Amino acid sequence: MRTATLQKNDLDRVIDLLSQADYRVIAPQNQPRLDGPDSIDVAVFKEIQSGDSHNIGEGLSTTGIKPFLFPKDEPLFAYENRGKKVVLTEVSLDFPKTVILGVRPCDVASVSSLDAVFSDKNAGFNDELFTKRLEKTTFVSYSCTEPDVSCFCTSVGLAPDSDKGSDLHMTELPDGTLHVEVKTKAGEKIAAVIDALLSGDGDAVARQQAGVAAAEKITRLRDSAPILPWLQDLGNFGDEMWQRLGEKCLGCGACTFECPTCHCFDIVDENSGNKGYRVKFWDSCQFDHFTLHASGHNTRNSQFERYRNRFNCKFKIYEDVFGEKGCVGCGRCIRGCPVNLDITEYMAEVAHKAAIPNAMSADPDFE
Amino acid sequence: MIEQIREKARELLESGELDVVIGYAEGSDPTRTTPIFCRKPEDTDKLVLDGRCVNTLPAYLNKRHEYPKKGWKKTGIIGKGCDIRAITQLIAENQLKRDEVYIFGAECEGVVAHPEKWDGSLHEGNCASKCSACDVKIPLDTDFYPGEKPEVDRSGPYMVSAPALATLVKMDDEDRFAFWRDDFDRCFKCYACREVCPHCSCNICITDRTMPSWVDQAAHTKGVFGWHLTRAMHLVGRCTGCGECTRACPVNIQVDLFNQKMKEVIQESFDYKSGYSMEVKPPLITYNTDDQETYIR
Repeated sequence: MRTATLQKNDLDRVIDLLSQADYRVIAPQNQPRLDGPDSIDVAVFKEIQSGDSHNIGEGLSTTGIKPFLFPKDEPLFAYENRGKKVVLTEVSLDFPKTVILGVRPCDVASVSSLDAVFSDKNAGFNDELFTKRLEKTTFVSYSCTEPDVSCFCTSVGLAPDSDKGSDLHMTELPDGTLHVEVKTKAGEKIAAVIDALLSGDGDAVARQQAGVAAAEKITRLRDSAPILPWLQDLGNFGDEMWQRLGEKCLGCGACTFECPTCHCFDIVDENSGNKGYRVKFWDSCQFDHFTLHASGHNTRNSQFERYRNRFNCKFKIYEDVFGEKGCVGCGRCIRGCPVNLDITEYMAEVAHKAAIPNAMSADPDFE
Repeated sequence: MIEQIREKARELLESGELDVVIGYAEGSDPTRTTPIFCRKPEDTDKLVLDGRCVNTLPAYLNKRHEYPKKGWKKTGIIGKGCDIRAITQLIAENQLKRDEVYIFGAECEGVVAHPEKWDGSLHEGNCASKCSACDVKIPLDTDFYPGEKPEVDRSGPYMVSAPALATLVKMDDEDRFAFWRDDFDRCFKCYACREVCPHCSCNICITDRTMPSWVDQAAHTKGVFGWHLTRAMHLVGRCTGCGECTRACPVNIQVDLFNQKMKEVIQESFDYKSGYSMEVKPPLITYNTDDQETYIR
């Protein structure tokens, strides 16, 4: 498909043209900061209007694009008690035509992990709230050139210049221009809208080199190949490492909510007088009441078991059920963890244990 | 300094006087440290103590976490001044007994506001604002302190340290509400602010209660305001100002500004600073016949 060159400072024009073509444009934007040293830089994906400043190409946003496909809360329907009748009102599934601009390769790859759960490809149930949003969404991805210390996409089969899941992929070249690759029909439509800004065929060699140079900057390198067979050996479910590495976990949900592939949710009726909404909202397997039964029994009674579940979900359950990893290596769970619980330490530990045949798994000194 | 703490910790683990020493070890990248539970004497070699040690470790002493399940008879804990203030408050609130813990303290030079700001040293540009108004750099109550512990005058009133609070209180109500509404828009209710807090002590948090549901669980505007304002009110007169709620927030919502403001109110109304006495009870969890009633009109 088509390749071309785009000037980086034309990204503002790209936003203008897409807005004029009736796209809702979502792009990463820096959030305002308060005075004083306690404030840190935070960038999130938000709807952008012509003239707003964005930070496309400046590092990985703090949170990903998940909320635009799977919002942190949304009503499923409204209800009202009218005498003996309950009147239900469906929510609209007419979502706006949307383009998400400047998505990093890890984030755009994560869409397939969400799709695996919410579409009927595997699960046999089609969650229209997700799939109808996805149908209306076009992803314009943007290669990483400066991965940071927490990035580990190359350890889970991706790369800083991956275009998996992308409709139109951009890579910033050392000369400051963007190499544009159209990947899908939806991407062609975007290319047609911004056609006036595209020139030539791009520089495929420089684009390749930019990808290689970025991958070389990644320092968190793990061998993920031994992980699946090690986890599939159920004898390792009781290994000492789960408690040793996981006992510092305090049980917040920062890792799961920042994660682009975590998809668990809860449903509750929010009542007000005789009417209300049934609401779907994000839930986290790290919360102590996530597996709490009505009887009072909790199947994951300790925090380390909850993190063991999270690791198994990413590297075993996803593989078993969907044939792919549930982790894209964005590193947000590492950056966001208050106690520096690091998923790549688990990966390293598993690789280490898998390399030692018949290793002693239970540590007798550990209480 | 850390050498002496390591040596003492090793000695007490070897003798069996302590079951565990909770401290800080090197983290998974050079800007970070991470909590460590030293059970074996040789684990103490891993202990570090410097400006990267941001965690308030007494959160692990809170009964909400798994501390009581571990069956430790005596727990060693390494504390900065502000951490020890948190321990003092836990004891004042009957959440912990003094003889259950052995406190290792050391002079603190301050900590970095957030690990991502660590550039190899601590300086004005990256030091947490709480450290600028700190009167416990020499910690309050310790069982082990390397060297001679100097006497410090801590009789001064509580002082707000966050510069951002001055900006916020100058705003009119509408602007301030708009500010929080926009900031809270990022909140997805991961409850990192709750889990890192040494003083969030409820066995079942009010936001997790569903029969009835007091606070909407979903992270919409109402649910987020419901959570943060409830949290702020529940910590009035109890928060010891470690600032971990702000530091731990993955989306940079400075929730400790509520706590700082309320600490100022408690100082003015009750002349009380939390975390300085194991005997004096926090004003809002006690009842006295001479309590002010000026708010009843």
